Amino acid sequence: MSVVRRYPDSSWGQVLLEAFFICLAGAAFGVLLHYPLLGDVFLVRRPAAKALAAESRLPEAGSLIPALLEDVRALVEQGAVLVDARSPEAFREGHIAGARSLPLGPDPEGLARFRDRVPLTVPVVVYCSGYGCRDSHDVGARLIEAGYKEVLVFEGGFPEWRAAGLPVGTGAAP
Amino acid sequence: MAGGGSAGWDGGCAVTGHPLGRLLYHLCRLAVGGVFLYAGAVKGADVVAFAGEIANYRIVPEPFHYLAAAVVPMIETMAGILLLFNRRVRAAALVAGGLNLVFMLALGAALARGLDIGCGCFGAGAASGVKEALWRDLGLMAAIVLTFLLRGNDPLSR
Repeated sequence: MSVVRRYPDSSWGQVLLEAFFICLAGAAFGVLLHYPLLGDVFLVRRPAAKALAAESRLPEAGSLIPALLEDVRALVEQGAVLVDARSPEAFREGHIAGARSLPLGPDPEGLARFRDRVPLTVPVVVYCSGYGCRDSHDVGARLIEAGYKEVLVFEGGFPEWRAAGLPVGTGAAP
Repeated sequence: MAGGGSAGWDGGCAVTGHPLGRLLYHLCRLAVGGVFLYAGAVKGADVVAFAGEIANYRIVPEPFHYLAAAVVPMIETMAGILLLFNRRVRAAALVAGGLNLVFMLALGAALARGLDIGCGCFGAGAASGVKEALWRDLGLMAAIVLTFLLRGNDPLSR
């Protein structure tokens, strides 16, 4: 006669409840651990850009202008120049179609070359890897110092552009 | 006698109580736990890059891919740790199975739409393609199901 050993088991209800708590605890830890990034995305930068867009007003002269995806699309159609502030490697792997690479780094000639090609009166939209990335702000500040009148920062960056299914280019800058 | 509230998950299963069944259970549990802990740790280390990988799939609307990128690695890590430590195994396997199913559906959708993207399964640096990732997830799902079903073999699991 065979004896089937059975160990303490649990019901579907208990397992589902435990699984729910694992998900809940994981989600809570994830949000708490990355609160600075999520707060920045959901509570600060995106609402600020939306409010600015809704009020149709410009910030003080000489400061960066936050831009939403729809603003960027309209600006590009009107002739604005897109600037990719990420590394040259990231640019080669994929960038917004038509963007120029101007990575943050000790390359004063890069900015000088950019000034030679793009007039100071042309609106410039700077982007990088999304809401967690500050490089677009730093490059934008340099462009303002260089004399550009209208410098916008596209907070959603390359991830948002790509997620919207908009044109993407690969390879090095021309 | 089984503990209170037993629903008889493995009742009638021939491998229940067999040493080979116990070995298979531990192998599956450790493999799934290890994979989930590693995947969660790698993705959690660079949440912004993982958000970009999620955006590639064009399923989660912006900016919610940042929320998913913050939450998913932590749930993966918790499920992985519980499986490795042989605690709350069925609940952890259920969570792992649910996540794996979502990953497979996303990969299938990317394949159907012909998206040329990296899977992002182990962070932004991982170079595996969508098809390869889909096969790997299929194997992982088999190990998760075995872990769930064979959990009753082990007297030490909780």
